[in-house]
Amino acid sequence: MTNNNATVAIDRITKTFGDFKAVNDLSLAVYPGRVFGLLGPNGAGKTTTIRMIVNITAPDSGQINVFGRQITPELQDRIGYLPEERGLYKKMKVGDQIRYFAALKNLNGKEADLRIDRWLARLQLTEWKTKKASELSKGMQQKIQFINAVIHSPELLILDEPFSGLDPVSVDLLKEVILELKSAGKTIMFSTHQMEVAEKICDDICLINHSRKVLEGRIRDVKRSFQRNAVALRLEGGETVLENTDLVTATRRDSDGLEVLLADGANSQQLLRALVDSDAKVEKFEVVEPSLHDIFVAKVTETV
Amino acid sequence: MNKMLAVVKREYLQRVRTKFFVIMTVLGPVMLMVFTVIPGLLFTIQTGNTRIAIVDQTEGGKLYQPLRDLLLKNHSDDEMPKAADVGESMQKSPDERMKQAGKSSTSSFVVEQGNQYGRSLEEIRQELNARIGRNELEGYLVIPADILTNSESKSSYYGRNVGDVFTREQIERQLNSAVRRERLIHQGVKPQEIDTLSKAVDIAAYPVNEKGQEGAEDSGAGFALVFVIAFLIYISTLLYGQVVLGAIIEEKETRIAEILFSSIRPFQLMLGKLIGVSLMALTQMAIWVGAFGLAAAYVLPQLAMRGNPVNLPKLPGVFFVYFFMFFIVGYFIYASIYVLVGSMVTTTQEGGQMAMPIVFLLMAGLYMAFPIIRSPNSNFAFWISMVPFFAPISMMVRIVSQRPPFWQIAVSFLSCCVTVVVLLWLASRIYRIGMLMYGKKASIPEVMRWVRQT
Repeated sequence: MTNNNATVAIDRITKTFGDFKAVNDLSLAVYPGRVFGLLGPNGAGKTTTIRMIVNITAPDSGQINVFGRQITPELQDRIGYLPEERGLYKKMKVGDQIRYFAALKNLNGKEADLRIDRWLARLQLTEWKTKKASELSKGMQQKIQFINAVIHSPELLILDEPFSGLDPVSVDLLKEVILELKSAGKTIMFSTHQMEVAEKICDDICLINHSRKVLEGRIRDVKRSFQRNAVALRLEGGETVLENTDLVTATRRDSDGLEVLLADGANSQQLLRALVDSDAKVEKFEVVEPSLHDIFVAKVTETV
Repeated sequence: MNKMLAVVKREYLQRVRTKFFVIMTVLGPVMLMVFTVIPGLLFTIQTGNTRIAIVDQTEGGKLYQPLRDLLLKNHSDDEMPKAADVGESMQKSPDERMKQAGKSSTSSFVVEQGNQYGRSLEEIRQELNARIGRNELEGYLVIPADILTNSESKSSYYGRNVGDVFTREQIERQLNSAVRRERLIHQGVKPQEIDTLSKAVDIAAYPVNEKGQEGAEDSGAGFALVFVIAFLIYISTLLYGQVVLGAIIEEKETRIAEILFSSIRPFQLMLGKLIGVSLMALTQMAIWVGAFGLAAAYVLPQLAMRGNPVNLPKLPGVFFVYFFMFFIVGYFIYASIYVLVGSMVTTTQEGGQMAMPIVFLLMAGLYMAFPIIRSPNSNFAFWISMVPFFAPISMMVRIVSQRPPFWQIAVSFLSCCVTVVVLLWLASRIYRIGMLMYGKKASIPEVMRWVRQT
C-alpha cells in the first residue's frame, strides 16, 4: 500500500495556535474501505488534525490530500463529518433538520426524504421525526447528528469521538452501523479515547500524544509487537509456583484474580503444568493478548 | 449557490413560521401607536380640576371676568372669544367643559374670585396661602393694578405645584389674551373689531426648482415625511439588527458551526443568513405598510366626507425609488455591522453590549437630519450625506427638501454600497474563524490577525 491510493494522505503537517503546537510533523494514511482509529488522550491534537482534513482550518505547513487531491469545497460533499463540538437547531423539527443538512451537501428532494426515513428507522428514531430537537435526549440528539453526517452517503466518513456520551446499547448500535458502512465500501476514520470500542472495529490505528505520532499500523501488527507473555489466572493454592522466579517475574492482583508475567524463556505450558503438579485448583487460565488499553496507557505514560 | 439558497430558505421559513413573528406583526403597529399616542394621551388625563383664585387688582376688576371665561372655555389659540361664545360657555355643564378641555389636551379649571374688598393684598394672600396648605386650592394668580397701562408690569402665580409648566403656560396664555384685549379696548378699539383685527395670517409656500419653475403649494407634509423616513430606517435597523445578531451567533451558541463549515463556505452561510433574516424583515414591513395603506385608503375618504380632508404630500415617483434604494442600503450597512459584531462574540448578551456603539452611530445620523433640513445645500449637509453611515438618512432628507444634483445622489449611494461590501468582506474573514472559537470573546488584536489570515 502506498500513499497514492490512500483516501486520506497526510504528509508532515504542523499546526500551531500562538505558542501551542497542536499538531507536530504528523503523517498518516487512511486506506479505502478500512476503519481507521485516531487514538490519543485529551488534548493530543486529534480534533485539530480532523479539522484540517475536512478543510475547516488549514495546516501551517505540510500537505493533506483527500481522494488523491488537495481538499476543495467540492470534495467536501463526498465527506461526512461528525465533529466533537456538535449541536442541533433546538427549535427545528428533526426531519426538517436532517433535510437541511442534506441540502447543504447537495442532496435534495424525494431521495433525501427516502433516506431520512430509512436512517431514522435504522437508528430507532422514526417516531421522533416531527419532534423538535430540544425535546430529544442527549443520546438521541447524537444519533440525529450522526444521521446528518451520513445522509448524503459519503465515501469518507470522519467521526470525532462518536461514542462519547452514548449508553452501551447505543454504542453497540452505532458500532454495528459503522461496520455496515464499512462493508458497503465506505472509508471510516474516527477518533476516540475509548479503547474497547476502537479495538473491536478498527482495522488500522494511529496513536498520537502531545501533538506527535507515537504508534501506527494495523491493529494486529500493533498488538503482536506488544506481545508480553502474560497469563490471567484464578486459582486456589499454588503460591509456591508463583514465587518461582524461573517461571514468573511479576504478579498483579485484580478483582477477577491474578495476572502474571512469565519469565524470559518460560512459557504458559510450563506454568500450567507446574500449577497442576502443585495441586492448585485452577478455575481460570488464559494467555492474555495485550489490550489496546494497555498499549495506550503504556505508550502514553512512556512519552510523558 | 444552491447551498446558499438552502440557508436563505431555512432562515426565512424558520423565522416567519414562529408565533413570535405573527405576534410581532400584529403587535408592531399597536406598539407604535402605544409609544406615539399614549404619552400624548397621558397629559390629557385629568387628575381633577385645577382650582385657582384670581386676585385682580385692576380698577374695577376688569380682567377677572374675561380671564375666567377664557380659562373655562380653554381656547387653544390666541383668538378672543366672541361675545356669544362667552355666554354659551357659561351655560355649559361641567361635563361638557371637561370634554372640551380633554380635546385640547389641557387641564380644566375651577376659577374663583380672590378679591375680598376691604382687605389688603397681604391679608388676602395670607388666607389664600393657608387654603393652598389645606389643599382647598391649587394656586392663585395676582394681577397688579397697572397691568393694563404699564407694559413692564408682571403678574405672579403662587401654588403648590408650580412645576406643572402646562398649567402655568395655559394661565399665562389666557392672561395675555385677556390683557391684550382690554388694552385694545382701553386704546379705543371697538370690542367687535378686535376679533377681525387680531386674526392670524397664513403663509402659503411654493417651491421653485433649479430651472426656475414654480411648483404647487407645499403643505409642509414633505417635512413630516422626511422624519417618517428617517425614523423608519432608524427603527427597522434597531429592530432587525438584533435579529441579525442573534442569527449570526445562533450556530456558535448551538455549536453547529463546525458541521456547517464542513458542508458550506463560511461566506455563503453568513450571507445566506443575512439575506434570510432581511427577507423576513422586509416581509414584516411590507405587511405593516400594506395594512397602513389599507387603513389610509379607508380612513382618508371618511375624513374628507366629514370635511377634514388630509392633504397628502405630492411627491414625484422617482422619490419612492430613491427611498427604496437608500432604505435598503441603509439597512444593510447597519445589518453588516451587526454581522461583524456577531462574528466576534460568543453570546447574544455580549453581542448586545458590543452593539451599543452602533445605536449611537445611528442616533447621530438621525439627529443630523435636523440641521440638514434647515439648510440642505450647505457644506455640512453635503459632506454628511457622503459619509456612508449617515448617508441613507441625510441624503433622503436632502432629496425631499431640496433635491441635490444627480451626481451627488449617485456618489452617496455608491459609497454606501461599497461600505456594505467592505463590511461584509471583513465580517466574513472574522466569521470564518470566530465561529469556531467557543467560550471566549475575541480581543481586537486577535480579530485583526483573523482578518489578515488566509
